[in-house]
Formats: sequence, C-alpha cells, structure tokens
Amino acid sequence: MVAGPSDAEEVVVDPLLVAAPGHAALLLGNEAIVRGALEAGVGFATGYPGTPSSEVTDSFARIADAAGIEFEYAVNEKVCLELAFGASLAGARSICAMKHLGLMVAGDPLSTIPYVGVRAGLVIVSAGDPSCLTSPNEQDQRHLGRMLHFPVLDPSTPAEARELTKVAFELSEASGLPVLLRTTTRVAHSRAVVPFGPLRAPTGIGFERDPSRLVPVPHHARRLRQELKGKMEVARRRAEELFVRQGDERTAVLAAGVPAATVADLLAEHGLSDRVTLARVPCVHPLPEVGLTDLLRSSERLLVVEELSPFVEDAVRLLAAREGIAVEILGKSTGHLPEEFEYLPAVIAGGLHAGLGLGPAPAGEEEQPAPPPPRPPVLCAGCPHRSTFFAAKAVFGEDHLYFNDIGCYTLGFSAPLSAGDAVLCMGAGFSMAAGAARVTGQRTLGFLGDSTFFHAGMPPLLDAIKEGTDMIAVVLDNEVTAMTGFQDSPGLEGAPERPRTASIAGVARALGAGHVETFDPMDLPAAIGAFERARDATGTSVLVAQSPCPVHHARSTGAPLTEGCFQVDASLCSACGRDGCGLDCGMSPTPATERAMGRSRALSVLQPTASASPTTAPCGAACPLGVCIQGYIGHVAAGESAAALQMVMDRVPLPDSVCRVCHRPCEAVCVREPRDGAVAVNGIKRFVMDLAAEQGGPTWSPPREPEHDRRVAIIGAGPAGLSAAHELALRGYGVALYDAADRPGGLLRHGIPGFRLPVGAVDRDVQRILDLGVRFEPGRRLGGDLRLADLLAADFDAVLVAVGAGRAAPLTSVGPHPEGPERTDALAFLAGDGAAATGRRVVVIGGGNAGMDVARRAVRSGATAVTVLEKQALVPADFHEVEAASVEGVVMRAGTTPIEEIAGGLFVRGPETHEDLPADLIVVAVGQAVDPSFLAADDVAIERGERGALAADPTTCATSHPAVFAAGDVVAGGRTVTEAMAAGMRAAWGIDRSLRGAASADRRPPPPRPGAWPAPRAAVPRDAVARRDPPELAPDRRGPSDEVVGVFTAEQARAEAARCTLCGSCGSCRACLDTFGCPAFFMRDGVIQIDPKLCTGCGVCAAFCPNDAIKPAPEVTA
Amino acid sequence: MSMSAPLSLLVVGVGGQGAITAARVLGEAAMSAGLPVRLGQLHGMSQRGGSVESTVVIGPGQTAFLPTRGADVVLGLEPLEVLRARPSLHPGSRVLVCRDPVVPTSMSVQGEEYPHVAGILADVQDATDEVIAVEGGAIAAAADAAGALNAVLLGALLAQGWLPFGPDPVKAALDLSSSPARRDRNRRAFDAGWRAVAP
Repeated sequence: MVAGPSDAEEVVVDPLLVAAPGHAALLLGNEAIVRGALEAGVGFATGYPGTPSSEVTDSFARIADAAGIEFEYAVNEKVCLELAFGASLAGARSICAMKHLGLMVAGDPLSTIPYVGVRAGLVIVSAGDPSCLTSPNEQDQRHLGRMLHFPVLDPSTPAEARELTKVAFELSEASGLPVLLRTTTRVAHSRAVVPFGPLRAPTGIGFERDPSRLVPVPHHARRLRQELKGKMEVARRRAEELFVRQGDERTAVLAAGVPAATVADLLAEHGLSDRVTLARVPCVHPLPEVGLTDLLRSSERLLVVEELSPFVEDAVRLLAAREGIAVEILGKSTGHLPEEFEYLPAVIAGGLHAGLGLGPAPAGEEEQPAPPPPRPPVLCAGCPHRSTFFAAKAVFGEDHLYFNDIGCYTLGFSAPLSAGDAVLCMGAGFSMAAGAARVTGQRTLGFLGDSTFFHAGMPPLLDAIKEGTDMIAVVLDNEVTAMTGFQDSPGLEGAPERPRTASIAGVARALGAGHVETFDPMDLPAAIGAFERARDATGTSVLVAQSPCPVHHARSTGAPLTEGCFQVDASLCSACGRDGCGLDCGMSPTPATERAMGRSRALSVLQPTASASPTTAPCGAACPLGVCIQGYIGHVAAGESAAALQMVMDRVPLPDSVCRVCHRPCEAVCVREPRDGAVAVNGIKRFVMDLAAEQGGPTWSPPREPEHDRRVAIIGAGPAGLSAAHELALRGYGVALYDAADRPGGLLRHGIPGFRLPVGAVDRDVQRILDLGVRFEPGRRLGGDLRLADLLAADFDAVLVAVGAGRAAPLTSVGPHPEGPERTDALAFLAGDGAAATGRRVVVIGGGNAGMDVARRAVRSGATAVTVLEKQALVPADFHEVEAASVEGVVMRAGTTPIEEIAGGLFVRGPETHEDLPADLIVVAVGQAVDPSFLAADDVAIERGERGALAADPTTCATSHPAVFAAGDVVAGGRTVTEAMAAGMRAAWGIDRSLRGAASADRRPPPPRPGAWPAPRAAVPRDAVARRDPPELAPDRRGPSDEVVGVFTAEQARAEAARCTLCGSCGSCRACLDTFGCPAFFMRDGVIQIDPKLCTGCGVCAAFCPNDAIKPAPEVTA
Repeated sequence: MSMSAPLSLLVVGVGGQGAITAARVLGEAAMSAGLPVRLGQLHGMSQRGGSVESTVVIGPGQTAFLPTRGADVVLGLEPLEVLRARPSLHPGSRVLVCRDPVVPTSMSVQGEEYPHVAGILADVQDATDEVIAVEGGAIAAAADAAGALNAVLLGALLAQGWLPFGPDPVKAALDLSSSPARRDRNRRAFDAGWRAVAP
C-alpha cells in the first residue's frame, strides 16, 4: 500500500462537540444521549458495550479527551455502575451505558443505590431490544424502576433522547435517585436531526462523608427505606411537567416510548391528528398521576400504546379504579395490541382501527411469494474463531458437548461448524460446560471470548478448577470486543505491539489450572495438537486461542485486510485418484468424516510432485481387492462405523474372514511404517466387522442386480469360489456351488486353525453368500463324481473351476529312515484334530504362515516340544505370526535345513553346525500344489500351465474352453487368501462379460490388476504416534481354539484410524463447504470456487483441504 | 425546499457492502439541502455478511419507519436483498439495483447455487415497473475504485433524478463520510456510477 500525501491527520472538531448554538446534526439516538450528557456537564462516563447501546460508550471513548471528561470501558456492567456511583459520590455527574441484559448484571448495586442516594447526578442508560433483534430475549426494564425505587425515562426519538438525558441528570440530583434512561433499538439506532444546546464543562462538588447514609447497615437501611417515598414524590412532580397532551377529544391515545412517535406519524399519515387526543409520558415511572387523572376524566375511550408489558396500561387501569372514573381503557389486556415484539406501524395501525375505529382496516395477509434464501450473519472470511471451532470439531467430533457464549463466536453454533449446543449469557459457556460435565462423565467444551472472559468467565473457570471438572475451557482471544464494534479488550495495551497486561493464560494458571496452553488458531496443526492434548488430559484444561481479529487489525493499523488470495484447482477438487479404475465408491463422506479427513491432511504434508493430479494412496493401490482403505479408515476415525461397514462390504466378499487372515500388503506400504508403524488397517477392519456382528449382523448389503436366467456352476467353495459366487449372485446369476467337503469354506474352514480364524467368522461369511440364493452341493469332487462335461450339458452357461491347490508339496530332499519319525503334511495335520502331536516332539519343516499354524496347533494339542525349521536366514511368515508362535513356546530355527531322517529324529544343518534333532512327528509345510488328477481323462480338455495348474487368461480367467473359467490357486499355486478372493471376483466379471457382454459386466468392474492405477503418492506425517495393535489373549490363557487376537475398542479403533495420513484424493470430498463454511466459498455450475473479493488469504482452508486442491492464486497485476 | 408528504427510501445490501453508509450519506445530503430527514438502521452483527437494511425518510414526521404503502425508492446493493425487500414495494416504487450477486453462505453450505439474476430482477419487476440494474462491480473496477460499490450506486441513483436534491450535497456528504485515504476513490466511484447510467 502506498501512503498518500493526503493521509495526514485533519484537525476537525468532533460533530458531538460543536459548540455553536442553533446548530443541529444528524445523530443516532445513542449519540444524542452523549450530546445531552455533555450539555449537562457530565464528568465521568463508562459502560460495557452491548447492542443496541454501544455507540453511547463508543462516542464517549472518541471524545472524552477533547471534552475533558473521564471515560473507561468497564470490565462488566456491575463494575460499570459501581464506578459511576463512586464518581457520583465524589461529586461528578456520571453516566453509564449497557444493554438490557447488562442492567441485570448490575442488579446488585442497582438495588441499594436508591437507598443510599446519589450525590452528583447519576444516569443509567439501558437499551432494550423488543423483537430480540440482537439479543436472546426482550425484557422490560421499566419494572425495575418500580421494584427498586428509581425514575425511568423513555424517549421516543433521538431529539427527545438528548433532552431527557439532561432532564435525567437534573432529576437525579433533585431526587437523590439514580435515573434510568431506557431506550429501545428504534431510538438508539435511528438517526435524526438533533438540535444542539450549549455545552457545559464538567464541575465537581466533592465527596461528603456521611456513613449514616452511605453505609447501609440494617438500622441505616430501615431509615433510608422510609425516605424513598419522598424521593419518588420529587420525581412524580417532574413527571407531571414532562407529561404531554395534545388535543381535547373524547377519544384518546396514551403512548410511551417509540410508539408515541409512531402513533403521531400514523395519525398524520391518515389525516386523523385532529380527531384524537394524543398524550405521551416521557417519564414512565413514576407516572404523572395528576395529568393522567385529568386525561381519564375527559376521555370516553383510551388506547394505551406501549411496547412489551402493559406497564403504563396496568397503572392507568389502577388509577381509573382508584379515582372511580368510568372510561373504557383498551390495550394489551383487551387484546387490541400484542405484548410481544416491537410495534412496527402496522401493529399500531391495527390497534387504532380495532380499538378506536380509526384509520383503515389493516390489509389482509397478502399472498407473498416464498422469501429468498435467508442470509444470516456468519463469521467473516479469515476469522480465527472459525479455525478454532474447526480444530475443536476435528478432534472432538460429534460426541462431545459444545457450550458457547455471547460474542461473534456465537455464530459458531450454526452449520457447518455446529459448535454451540447451548448458549445462554455472558460467562455461561464455561459454567454450563462444567455443570454438564459433572453429570455426563464426559469432557465438555466451553467457549468464550477475551472480553467475556474478563467480564464473567473467571468465576466459572475458578469454579471448574477447584472441583477438578473434566472440561476444556477455551478462550477465543481475538484481542478486541469485536461483535459490538471493536471496543478495547480489557488489559490490552495499544497498537502496534498490543501486549496483554492482563494475561489470560496467567490468570488461568493463577486460578490453579494445571493444563494451560496458548496457540495460534490460524496455525491449524498447532490448534489441532492443542485440542488433542486437552482431550487426553484430565481435570480442567484451559486453551487460549490467540489471534487478532483481522478486520479490526486492518482498520486499526491501515494494513490491507487481504494478503493475496487462494483459488480452487478444479482438477484436484472432488477428484478421486483412482478414477479410471471404475471403482467409484459412490459414497459422499459425512461432515464428520470430512472433518477427520481435514484433520489428517492438516497433520501431514503431501509429497510434492511435478504434475498436479489427484493422488492415490499406497495402501489402496496395494490392496488386491482395490478397497479404498483410507475411505473406511476415515469413517472410523470420525466414529461413522456404519459408513465404514458399507465401504468394506461393497468391495470385500468375505469380510469377517479377511479381517483376520489377510496378509496385509496395505500395511507393508503404509507411509507410517518406517516412521512409527503402519496404521493397523486390518485391526480397524476387524473392529468394523465385529461391531456389526455384535449388533446382530451388518445392516448393509451391496446392491444387487435383478435376477436373470443365466446360471453358473462353481467348483470349489474356498475363498476364490465363494467370492465368485458372491459376485455372480450380485450380478443376478443363478449359482450352484460344488465342493468335496460337506460345508463351504475350503481352506478357510479346514486349513486355518480356529485360534486364528474362528469357525464362527467363516460361517458368517458363508451364510451371507448362501443367503443370496447360492445353492451349495456338498460332497461333490471334480474328478470323482463331478465332470465339467456333465455340468455344461446340464443347464449351466459357464463353469468356474476354483478347486485350489489341495495337495501338499512333497519334501523329496529329505530321505526317510525306517525308524524315523512319523511324517505328515500341513494340510492333513491342520484338517485333523491335532492328536498326532499330543505328548510328542514335533518338528515343522517350513517357516511360512502354514508352518506357524501347524506349530501353534501342535502346542495346543500338547506337544512336548515344537521346533520350526526354516532354511532361509529369515522366517518368511508374517511377523505377527512368528511372534505369536514364539510367545507360545515354539522354537524358531532359521537358516536350518533338514538333511535326512535318522532314528528318532532328523539330521539337520544349521548356520554353523550339523546336529541330530530329536523328533517324534515331522509336519511338512513347504507349500501346496495343484492335484493334476482333478480332471478325469474323459472330461473336457483344458489347456494346462506349469505343474498341472490350469492355464487361464489373467484378465478374464477364461480357459481354453469357452465356457470354462478358472481362478485361485488352481491357476497359480500358493497365493494368499485375499488374492484368491480377488481372483474369484475377477472370474465372475470375466464370466459376466462372456455371457452378457462388456456393457453389463463393466458396470461392476473387477478388482484392479497390479499397476492399474497411477503410482501412489505418499503423505509425510508431521507427528509421530506409535502404532497400536489389537489386544491379544495372554499366552497362559490360550485354550485350543480360543481366538488369540482380540478386537479394538471403539476408542482404540478411532485413535488408530486417526493416524491415517490420507495420502489419496477423494472424489466425493466437499469438506470446505461441509465443515468450514467460509463465506468466500461458493458453488457455481457444480464447481466449488473461492470469491477473490472475499478471500483474505489466511490459508487455513488450504491447510486442511483433503485433496490439496486449494492453492495461492497468482498475483494479479494491474 | 419544502415537502408536504415524506419521500421514503430503502437501502438494502449485505453486511460489509456499505449500505448503512450509503443511507447516511443520503441523509446528510437531505439535511444539508434543508430537508427534514430521519434514518432507521439495524446494526448488530450486520457487518458479518448478513442482510442489512436502512431506511431514509425525507419530509415531516418523527420516525424513520416506512409509511404504510412502502418505499418510494429502493437502492439495492445486491439482487437477492432487493427481492427480499419485495413486500416493501408498491407499484410506484423505483428500484436501482446492482446486478452482482453475493452468494449467501447458508446456500453454499447446502451446496445450493445462486438463482439467475435475470430471474430475480423479473420477480422484482412483478412488484414495480421501474427497475434499473447496473453492473456495479464492473463500473467500480473500471474506475479503479474496487470496494466502493456503495458510492457507484449512489452516483447512479442521483443520475436518475428521483430525489428532491441533486448530486452536489451527496458528493459533499460522501467526502465527509470518507477517510482521507478513501476520498478520491469514492469520488471516482460516484462519478463512474453517474456516468454509467446518465442519459
């Protein structure tokens, strides 16, 4: 910004200080009050800002020095009134201003001041708010005058406000009472031509010691009470002088406050001014009883027009009864006027017509078109409060209660921030949170601003701390009282450094808070970190979110509000990194999930790449099933288990099994693996599935096409066959599933021990598939009583061979010995009951996962010793499996090769020595092979591949026979369960393509083939949080078939899921709109955009944009 | 200058656009032209992007409420806000409106898009015939006066000759309401608005 030569201060007299008599200015009602006070020689002014009273104090703040009066913003209204009273006692005319709610805060001093009495005039301005235009309630302060014994003046226009302010000072001194100048919004915030009188310099009359009056101990108080009647009589006489009566008609209107002016305008508009008497009571308490009695006697009908309660109306009724005057009094109690809301002209016109027959009948409710969308106020673009609320919600989600307070930040209650479950009054953000925490047993959050903290936040904070209340007290310190027009925040020194002399964090510590942190909410990772530490702490945590209000900062320093701006890269926004694979998840993340996504992005940084394109997460790219892993993990992190379940079940046909036995290629490539351990993906999936089972089974089933008349036979009910059956059933096929065993499951049921994969989990998966109408044919063996030719001759349109690799690979290199140990293979051992190992020394040859299963089964069957021999230097089984076996007492001998059997054992060669290893049972676990005899010689001929396996197209699973397909281990021996499932799904797609064509089949694409996606791009986590594994059964409590690995609790699952760094882009993300709600964002033609006129360049959105799509806009040069 | 019946104006816009300032400038101009005038305005949280309206009533009377028939002149800084003010229009109302939309955040959050401006203006025209729409943002930008939309609209309003005073008192009031740093910009904006619609 270039400083212009004309920026120099211009010396001008403030409009409120113009001395010239006869001058008039266009003043707000609030400004007119200040002018009136100056003309009354006010010496001390104070107030606490509150709409619609704020311009009274703001004007005093501006002119106090020039006018030579003392001014301050008080920290609250009680202090404010006490200050003004002290100044009055010391002899200076004093004024204090506040809104209607503030007067209740000042209720304690207000109750006793009338007793002890003022010295110099004391005027209390309290602005009411009929219709709750900027307040949580409307209240009628006039009653306080009656209840506490002081006069109440009620101006109807700005000009009258000036006059009545002067009257108020005189009346206060004449009666010795404080005087309430009660305004409402339409006086306070109307601007009108106000004629000026002469200014009067402040004068002091000094303090007068008189403890018998100024110290209201009970015996003084009783005497002072008796004096009140006389004081009020002084006021009543002044009220008579202020009473205005125009006209002498039998029909009369008595009006008070703004309605008095409105009635006058209405009568003029309709030419009725000379047909009705209009009387006005500028002093509404005490009322001018003489003038009113006269009015009542001369009227037949009298309509009382006043806003809110029937304060004057009731008094006039009482007066008429007391004086025995027969006059018809109309108003609220006769139903001609309402008690609630401000009196707009139409309301009064209705009362005039209905009550007095004056003026036209109000127009009927006209049929108005639907109003346009509402435009409520919102937190400004660049507001630090938005960032604080976003961080809080990202950490605490929907599970915790948010108590908010009075200030700009109240707006945080509305969507999408939704951080305000309750709002009451100044300070209650802390106290309500504390009360709720006491009975919910859960940490609550309370929010309030810096001014509110000093106003009414310190007592509830001390209260929470002394009780050890489990809550987080957040002070939103934007260094100014922003909502009411940027008044000074207590204890803050002037620009530019603005250090706090009253340290909020220091106060919190002094009150005894153990956990106190100050952070910059515009630094989103710092803000999230602070909230996470507060979440994990106990007792009362105090967080001070400190960042200056940018609007105030710009106005007070002259610095530009905008520092560059950001824009949305449409090629990255809402773009899935996996588009093109066709696996559209079709799911819109919930706002809770989007918050979790935003949090993950804020806590990690995507590695920069040369080209801006959507990214793919390494985990999803490595998953044989193509599951969007970060998608369901994001849901879990947000506590959205149902959505996570849906994502898993849409892509995983055997989820209960795979979440226990998957080989977890996703975890191997997780970016956290080398840093602090991979995210426990499978443990999280297991949590989702077990939770669903616990709740009576999954509530979601993938969409299913209508049935058609095509039928497929599947031979082999292992992972590949079951997955194909599931997928074909979803595609509308009739499916018959053949297996040699009597129950479906194959390897899952017979090849994996129950302590790793309980039968119940397999049963759940199998049942779900049978429930789709898949027909199971037990005891049918291909090559036995089952021939492909017969199936094809029957009415099957295709046959899928998925018989697996059912033969154990032989161990020909180890020579037998007549007195050698008994020898069996892993498949046979695991299919049996394990009794062969009981009381024997067992040696397992082969350190793969099957070898671990054998060894652990042997331990459970009572083997006296179990040793695993692995010729490689490292045992190749999954780390977790090796560890579990070792914990259970299995001895691992890596780098050890069996040479030959000897009597009672094995001769082996170790890394350094040869030795005889005693053994009673050898179990060979060196892999599985395809049994080449499964196709009878007279069946259809199918081309073979290596070692008897069937040759099949890797893309479609088609074999050399057009109606025969093959998938799983029968094609490629010795793969994993998860890969077999993927192959089964792919075969189903291949079959569908051949039978119905690509158009139908490709609506549900198969799992991607390795390398189908763009190279994954990793994120770098900023933090380090150690991996958490699911709990395991203690080794001494592991029964023969007890499942060893347990399941995460919901909290553990969420915490572990929250470690995901969200490497991939999301095609359904709309996090900026759904969770942040910055007014600079808007949607046009379905595309999210940022309005450069509104963006302040704060960059918070860019810090959390899950897709990294928000970038600084290039500098625009003129 | 004297008037028998009041002339009522309604200024509507979005918090931050300067609607209240524009109304005040008109009020000061009326006063300096020797006319009785009153202004009604709702403050509160208006600067935080909410709907803002201000009334200017010129002529005899005590309050700043619009008369029963509604507003004689509407100055709209934003199309949707003029549509919102439709209940205050009567067949003789004259409307000057800026065509540039400000999308309510409540709509963006819902994923809703701003309605077509032409449709909004047609709806306004159902209530009154004299509707003049200007490209306020473009006019301001061309005059190197971005951020002075209210001054552009004031210039365009005075060019219509709908008010009982000419441009000079408005220019003077605009000067007085401007900080020294903004004075030249606001003058340029007023003049550009005037030129954009002057016959």
